[in-house]
Amino acid sequence: MTATAASGATTTVSNLSTRGLTKVFGGVRAVDGADVTFHEGKINALIGPNGSGKTTFFNCVTGMIKPDSGTVTFKDRDITGKAPHAIAHAGIGRSFQLCRIFPRMSVLDNVLVAVRRTGIRSLLAPARTEAEVTKARQLLVRVGIDHLENAEARDLSYGQQKLLELAGVLMGDPDTIMLDEPAGGVNPSLIGRIGSLVQELNAEGTTFLIVEHNMDLVMSLSHHVIVFDRGRPIAEGTPDIVQSDPRVLEAYLGV
Amino acid sequence: MPNASSTLAAPERAATAATPTDRSRRRKIATVVALIVAAVVVGIFPAAAPNAYILSAGVVILSYACTATSWNFMGGFTGYISLGHAAWFGLGAYGTGILVRDLGLPSFVAWALAGVVVAIITVPIGIAALRVRGASFVIVSIAFVLILLLVFQGWGSFTGGSNGLVVPRPFPDLMRPVHHQVFFYLFAALLAAMLVLWWAINRSRFGIGLKAIREDEDKAEALGIPTRNYKLVAYIISATFTGLAGGMYALWFGDLDPIFQFSILLGSYMVLMALLGGIRHLLGPLVGAIIVGIGLEVFKLQFGDTQFHLVATGLLLALVVLFMPDGIIPALQAGIKRFGPQSSSIREMTAGELAERNRAAGVSGASVFAGRKAEREGVENEDATTPTEEEKR
Repeated sequence: MTATAASGATTTVSNLSTRGLTKVFGGVRAVDGADVTFHEGKINALIGPNGSGKTTFFNCVTGMIKPDSGTVTFKDRDITGKAPHAIAHAGIGRSFQLCRIFPRMSVLDNVLVAVRRTGIRSLLAPARTEAEVTKARQLLVRVGIDHLENAEARDLSYGQQKLLELAGVLMGDPDTIMLDEPAGGVNPSLIGRIGSLVQELNAEGTTFLIVEHNMDLVMSLSHHVIVFDRGRPIAEGTPDIVQSDPRVLEAYLGV
Repeated sequence: MPNASSTLAAPERAATAATPTDRSRRRKIATVVALIVAAVVVGIFPAAAPNAYILSAGVVILSYACTATSWNFMGGFTGYISLGHAAWFGLGAYGTGILVRDLGLPSFVAWALAGVVVAIITVPIGIAALRVRGASFVIVSIAFVLILLLVFQGWGSFTGGSNGLVVPRPFPDLMRPVHHQVFFYLFAALLAAMLVLWWAINRSRFGIGLKAIREDEDKAEALGIPTRNYKLVAYIISATFTGLAGGMYALWFGDLDPIFQFSILLGSYMVLMALLGGIRHLLGPLVGAIIVGIGLEVFKLQFGDTQFHLVATGLLLALVVLFMPDGIIPALQAGIKRFGPQSSSIREMTAGELAERNRAAGVSGASVFAGRKAEREGVENEDATTPTEEEKR
């Protein structure tokens, strides 16, 4: 908020925002009236201490959890409480905190799952059409695991599985991608690879929302940083401004 | 850097491209051979059967194969284990019998209509049952079959209750052996229809969605699969075919009793047979049905009226779960692969090369976005990398 005032010259375009989003688990207000506006076409980062409600917020936006109150707006449409597959079809792709893939399916099939088809006849048509397989292979080349396309996904290393998950998300042609801890449990060289992929895709026009604890990655990658604490944003702005905000230092770094 | 990685990638792709096509061709040939053998066996079995008992045992085994394969539309594709599929078997059987008795419909019209009735009943039951997963779904499925057992036992005026229901025979003029022979082929035709449908779904867009649900339902949903509708359709297909198998059984056997039609044991056999053969494979339930079916008949002959045949069946299941947890077909495939060319060695090698490639790409990628920053952190990161790289090797 202070940040927007400081860099007042930039006009913000947003396709995804939340108003008063709230989710209560028992006595815990995991997300507590969160008003968040993501910057379209930018890499947005969501940071905050563990338990600050980032993942719950994430799940409310993508429909995995139904919020108790508040709204989520995407491309001027209210998507609050819609089924996750409907939100995926609307154009939001997501990854999971601990990488989730389909362990006993081939790498190629893992990517093909995200193909969008409707109508009974096309659903009963063979899964592997030439155009879709070609596209899936291109994505596997892009993330660098194309030589493993016939391997079972469970045989891949953890880092390769993260890349596979990203390829699957890309297969759905999302214009907004939400990544939950893309660098978690990944060796530094692969973090660099994932980071540059995010930048490439962002340069092509994809909006990113990234929940991440790796501060170096967040600060080097993102254009806009939102700091969460106790279920709502407490500060936002460019990485430099957020890093020097005293509330952030107190909540997140414990200084 | 880009030059190095592209020269690395090219031979890799050529090497791996040859193996999968070979493998899929070999698998295709094996499937075709298996189908031809199966068709020949089915074709000559009735003529070759030495007596009516063996022939009727053949019919029983084929009816098991039908139920296990229809169960597998749900269990194999979505991973939802229903122990209560006997409910659909019983509804199909009683539906056929009652439609013949009360409406005087021709036997096979009643049979088809009973299938439609089962499909319609599946919709509300499926919507309710599929709201829960895992163990809860298993319990819901058992509860449903137990409710039906009580209803069909208690409502004697309509279902015949514990006295049973006599289903008029569709071919009253046929001698018993010929009757068995006709139903042997009818069950075989029903099974063939199911196998064709299973094969078509397996390779379809719908099938890949169902398999994704089996692997990780939430993830499938997040990737855009309308999981609820997919599961419901699979459930309806599975239940309907189970009902058709039950109706066929009613027309063949001619006498129904709620205790046997709505029994947990029957549902358990379907699961046992499918797991035994391998639920991820087209012919898994059929293979399982043949083994369990023959086993049950042999154990019954050996142990007579005692319950020892159940103990023996339980031991059979225990052995399979211990030594072939994925079923017989995958275990055989793994055994055959051990004697064939070891394709996995290629993969291990390329995994190492990938690490090489990623390291190269990672460094160049990092320098793109972080410039000096990456260099500064490079020193710290090196320490963290070393142990993981060693582990990999």
